Amino acid sequence: MREIWKHIEPEHLFFCYECSRCTGSCPAAMVLDTPGPRRILVSCLYSGPNAVTGDESLWYCTTCHVCEDRCPQELHIVELLTALMNVAAARGNIPDKVRAVVDKIARTGRSVVTYRVDEERIRFGLSPLSQINVEEVEALAARTGLFEKVKSRP
Amino acid sequence: MKYSLFTGCFIPARYPGFEAATREVLRLLDVELADLDFSCCPPTTNVKLVNYDTWLALAARNLCLSEEQGLNILSICNGCTATLTEANKKLKEKPGQRRKVNHLLKDFGHRFEGTIQVHHLGPLLNRTIGLEAIRERVVRPLKGLRIAAHYGCHYFRPPRVMFPHSLTASASYVPVGVDNIVSALGGDPIQYSRKFLCCGSVLGANIGGDDTYGVVWEKLQHMADREAEAIVVPCPSCFNQFEMGQVMAKRRKKIKFNLPVFYITELVALAFGLDPERFGLTEHTIKTKNFLDKIA
Repeated sequence: MREIWKHIEPEHLFFCYECSRCTGSCPAAMVLDTPGPRRILVSCLYSGPNAVTGDESLWYCTTCHVCEDRCPQELHIVELLTALMNVAAARGNIPDKVRAVVDKIARTGRSVVTYRVDEERIRFGLSPLSQINVEEVEALAARTGLFEKVKSRP
Repeated sequence: MKYSLFTGCFIPARYPGFEAATREVLRLLDVELADLDFSCCPPTTNVKLVNYDTWLALAARNLCLSEEQGLNILSICNGCTATLTEANKKLKEKPGQRRKVNHLLKDFGHRFEGTIQVHHLGPLLNRTIGLEAIRERVVRPLKGLRIAAHYGCHYFRPPRVMFPHSLTASASYVPVGVDNIVSALGGDPIQYSRKFLCCGSVLGANIGGDDTYGVVWEKLQHMADREAEAIVVPCPSCFNQFEMGQVMAKRRKKIKFNLPVFYITELVALAFGLDPERFGLTEHTIKTKNFLDKIA
């Protein structure tokens, strides 16, 4: 749990006066079934981070930072959410789509891989895709413990 | 002026036309570009949320590649700019994190020194190159067409990281760069409700489902209410979301917006009189023909 307080001072959370501007601004709360940032912040404050790390809707975040931008207390809400998601991922709460793309980035060095990409690039007068040092990327990901989190072998 | 060009993952693979337009526009504006073998930035929207340490190490590696050449980075995608700017700031300001990252990078022959800066295309065109230089090159002005700019969240948020020198009293920032470019090109940059709302593409990428298009539909409706004739974005993910959002609106809600979407340098290339077919402007999912005819 130290992991969470590495990113944000626990005392900062007490600045929250529960005005709910964050949830009112949240694009995810606008369209998806989620209690929004305020509920996460408040349960984190009153019941501790363990109360929210199992919640699937923790991942309903676009990282748009609008909650943080509008917070009258200037709380770093996204840093708290990032820390919570980091812990949630270690405990196996991670959406399949996120797991897949993170794994792809660590193994190929790219998040988008398309068919016959170089032919298409030549058509626009561009040189082929750059040569990424994939071993280096994969080794850095492995050493920082990414593959254990997404439960796959390096 | 020389930069290392950070294209990211989305643009070189899915939208090579954007890259071609960007290179041509920057060549005309006397910006020299170097191509380094950068990996994925990696995104703040997935890798950082799953494992912060991996995110910082991979971003630091990319920063090191450019540092080793002594070049500032020019990023043409919002996501990459956000990652590289934030990682650069964190590594410069937090000795503990920097020590840890340098310890990891040592085995691969890299060392983060904190000698470079990261720039996004928008501020570069506005401040470094200047609107006057752009205005001088315009040969096919956009004839006052009503263009709705969408900035994308990571262009300017969090402002304390992205625009630390331009903060308002409440530590916020409202960007104007893309609107300024549109007016320099002879277009009419319009205001509309919820201009700084997210496009919601991350929800689609991370969670999925039709509901996630609700955010972009709301934006499209506000743009249509103000009679926009086109949308301009400085980010490939937002571009994809605005095109797919319109396709899905037609399919699920039977609403036809027919608002062509342009990446910022596509619009600049157009106004500079370059051939639109050369950059794939005629191959967009949302047809651009009407718009192109209006300025022909």
